[in-house]
Amino acid sequence: MTKRYQNRIELLQGTLDLLVLQTLRWGPQHGYGIAFAIRANSGDVLQVDTGSLYPALHRLERQKLIAAEWKTSDNNQRVRVYRLSAAGKKKLASERSRWAQISEAISGILNPSRESEA
Amino acid sequence: MKFPFDPRDKRKQDLDAEIQSHLQMAARDRESRGEPAAQAAASARRELGNAALIQDATHDQWRWGWLGALWQDLRFGARLLRKTPVITAIALLSLALGIGANTAIFSLLDSVMLRMLPVQNPEQLVALGMRTPKQGSLVNHSYTNPIWEQLRGHQNVFAGVMAWSARDFNLANGGEAQNVNGIYASGDYFNVLGVRPLLGRLMTSSDDTRSCGGVAVLGYGFWQQHYGGAQSAIGSQIQLDGHSFPIIGVTPPNFFGTDVGSRFDVAIPICAEAIIDGNNSYLDERAAWWIRVMAREKPGQSREQTDAGLAVLAPQIFAATLPPDWKPEMQRSYLKRTFVPTPAGTGLSWLRRDYERPLEMLMVIVALVLLIACANIASLFLARAAARQKEIAVRLSLGASRARLIRQVLTESVLLSATGALLGVLFAKWGGALLVRFVSTKQAEVFLDLSMDRRVLGFTVGIAILTGLLFGILPAFRATRVSLTSAIKGVEVQGDAEHSRFHSGRWIVSLQVALSLMLLVGTGLFVRSFRNLITLDPGFDRQNVLLVTTNVHNSNIPPTQYVALYDQILTRLKAIPGVNSASQDWFAVMSGYEWNDDIEVEGQKPPAGEEPLVWFNWITPDYFATLRTPLLAGRVFDGRDTADSPPVAIVSETMARRFFPNKNPIGQYFRNGVSQPLMSSQPVQIVGLVRDSKYGSLREDNLPFAYVPLAQMLQVPESGVFELRTGVTPAALIPAVRDAIGSLNKGASLKFTTLEQAVDDTLAQERLLATLSGFFGGLALLLTAIGLYGVMAYAVTQRTREIGIRMALGAQPRSIMNLVMRDVAALLAVGVGAGVIASIWVARLVQQLLFGLKSNDVETLALAAGSLVAIALLASYLPARRAMRVDPIKALRYE
Repeated sequence: MTKRYQNRIELLQGTLDLLVLQTLRWGPQHGYGIAFAIRANSGDVLQVDTGSLYPALHRLERQKLIAAEWKTSDNNQRVRVYRLSAAGKKKLASERSRWAQISEAISGILNPSRESEA
Repeated sequence: MKFPFDPRDKRKQDLDAEIQSHLQMAARDRESRGEPAAQAAASARRELGNAALIQDATHDQWRWGWLGALWQDLRFGARLLRKTPVITAIALLSLALGIGANTAIFSLLDSVMLRMLPVQNPEQLVALGMRTPKQGSLVNHSYTNPIWEQLRGHQNVFAGVMAWSARDFNLANGGEAQNVNGIYASGDYFNVLGVRPLLGRLMTSSDDTRSCGGVAVLGYGFWQQHYGGAQSAIGSQIQLDGHSFPIIGVTPPNFFGTDVGSRFDVAIPICAEAIIDGNNSYLDERAAWWIRVMAREKPGQSREQTDAGLAVLAPQIFAATLPPDWKPEMQRSYLKRTFVPTPAGTGLSWLRRDYERPLEMLMVIVALVLLIACANIASLFLARAAARQKEIAVRLSLGASRARLIRQVLTESVLLSATGALLGVLFAKWGGALLVRFVSTKQAEVFLDLSMDRRVLGFTVGIAILTGLLFGILPAFRATRVSLTSAIKGVEVQGDAEHSRFHSGRWIVSLQVALSLMLLVGTGLFVRSFRNLITLDPGFDRQNVLLVTTNVHNSNIPPTQYVALYDQILTRLKAIPGVNSASQDWFAVMSGYEWNDDIEVEGQKPPAGEEPLVWFNWITPDYFATLRTPLLAGRVFDGRDTADSPPVAIVSETMARRFFPNKNPIGQYFRNGVSQPLMSSQPVQIVGLVRDSKYGSLREDNLPFAYVPLAQMLQVPESGVFELRTGVTPAALIPAVRDAIGSLNKGASLKFTTLEQAVDDTLAQERLLATLSGFFGGLALLLTAIGLYGVMAYAVTQRTREIGIRMALGAQPRSIMNLVMRDVAALLAVGVGAGVIASIWVARLVQQLLFGLKSNDVETLALAAGSLVAIALLASYLPARRAMRVDPIKALRYE
């Protein structure tokens, strides 16, 4: 248990927006749910700091990439639920391909191809 | 007051609810995983972190979030400022005075030195000067009309050239003169400047031809004042010096002419000088220097091309205009003259020569005042910041970030300085007008466009923000650097408090003392120089003398009868009750006009390198009696000296010493061969010796002076000055003088002033410096006293417990007093020491503005340091006395 806790990584600045948008692709979700989903989907490796999450949500809302509304949850609790807007979907697509490029480039550097190794 | 743009409170509640729901969900999750309920809630809260901080960070993401925070800071700042009204009032007043004074002086500096003329492309304008090889870098800007006409006719170097000459015109026909600021303008004057008419038309080159009939263009202000802005002014006639000119147009409201410092009322063409001056016209005079020339450069032409063109042009022009009766060596150097263009987009101004240094000096003085005010407010704020320590500690522990708190304190200080600046601008508006009145004299009325332009506005906004940061930054950092636990518990960590907070207050006070000392030394130097000047014995008695300047140009009598008329006037004036004695001369003392010529002394070669230049004046017999200049030897003029008797003169001590060293000057002869046809070129015999007296200004060295009798002048000018000594107020004589002269000649024009006023007018610059530096010096003293009082009072409060303990252990009140005063003495010693060194170093720069004392004058330095120390000790005596009366029981029970 302690070992796993140490393996959690603080999120890189800027990648949080991408992860939030990606999480909302599966349907509307509230802040706690988003944090939970990110942690669960990363196998408990990515830890979302609440102090970054809410500013990020409100920033994305201001940029009209997501929209928010108050709803009542299953156990009768008022929660603020976010969902992806059309602009948000477009943004997600472009951010995803940008991320793919970056991670490809970085792994290219970290794992040189076999030919050059031979 | 609510923030007006945003339903923030609703959104804040929403955010709060959102975070609460987050917490609840997190807690429930933990419970479902088996944690006990109470522990789950606590862990969830721990995991969340600082809720307030999260909310704060989220607010910042909202649109206008920063504006809302700013509004919040401003409201909070205003509330804090209202809570300490005395500190706020002192701070606001010192800021208003400091920023206002800076704005006023800067706007004066701006309008005299920096402001571009309101004409087309002013940056293309150059003033054309002349340089004589022998005179080095000296550039002469006065032209004769023949040179100007040659230049106008033959130049192709510039896109255009224009010329003008300022001249007062008299609107009245006889009686007391009613002068307006006139200019003789070349036909192209307005055209080259690119000034368009507001009404009618402006002059063109066809209005400025020899033997022209003359036309008049009015300035906007004059048109408003004298014609009520009526259209019908166009086409009507205006009387100038008794000649009438048709008015053809009016210039726009923002155009005041090309001489910065005055406003032109009426412009007539240069050719009209022949109408005004008649037979004495300067138009063909090759040695009368009265015209100024400006040119507009051709766009894209390089400086080298301009210089090359001028180098070709100069020899031709000077050859064609050579003054025929000059000595050969003067003619040779005349032919070698060259033209020098200098940028003149800001116009030309005599004010610049006289006031550049004083204005810079004043700028330094007011900057010092503002710095002292800043130091003052900073130390007051430091004391207040210490009082707010507990509040700030609470806010920090509740999750406020330090940057946010610093921003809040800085917002508060900028709010204060902005309010101060606003008040300062009002003060500057009033102060600027007052300054112009200070610089203005009866002889040279100063007009300056002090409207607030972008540069002045930028300057004021700039210094407002800068001062806000300057006095806010130290308290802001100091206030937010607190030890949370001790501050909340209200316990001073003794050593720490002694060391940090108290010390930064200390060096600010020392700095303030040093700055104030510099200012006071400046004040002392300027006030003492001014006193030296006004108490100087000028060689005449300025009290109770009325000066009447007459001009009989339009009196309808031939010049040959001027002497007879003057004689009649003088007789009548002497008969006025209250007149003790009366005389007449050509150019009165301190009038700004002078007559000088080279003389020759029989059998004496002038010493090499020294010109035999002597100042002249013609006078009537009672001149020295009226001015009370003592006769040292020989006699004054009397009835023996007539047109037919041998020429005589009375000389000054300096003239006697220079030309007749170790000889009795009485009975000696000299010749004035240059002044024909004014006076005879026969040898003149010296019959009297008088004390030296100042003539052009009080600051000048004594001049070699020769007085000659009016009766022996070959030609008498149309103007002269009567001096009337009286036992009553000089101004009371004016109606009687007006009647007396009017009854003899209705056409004679008159101007009145007193000798005292004439002397005063020459001291405008010194008076300005002395008065303003005196005012600001006093202000600095007051600010320093307040600052010191504040800091010491605070220090005593801080040490109340310590003092109580000392007293409980048996310390005498006197030794407690010594304890406090020792602190003050140390602060003062550092401040005065630094101030003395800085003053001596800076004062060297003002040497040329001083009179009769050196910049490192010990007496002034001692006086400044002494008064500063006295005031400072007085200011800290009150807190020290309070320390002495601390009740040890109360002090110890304090907690």
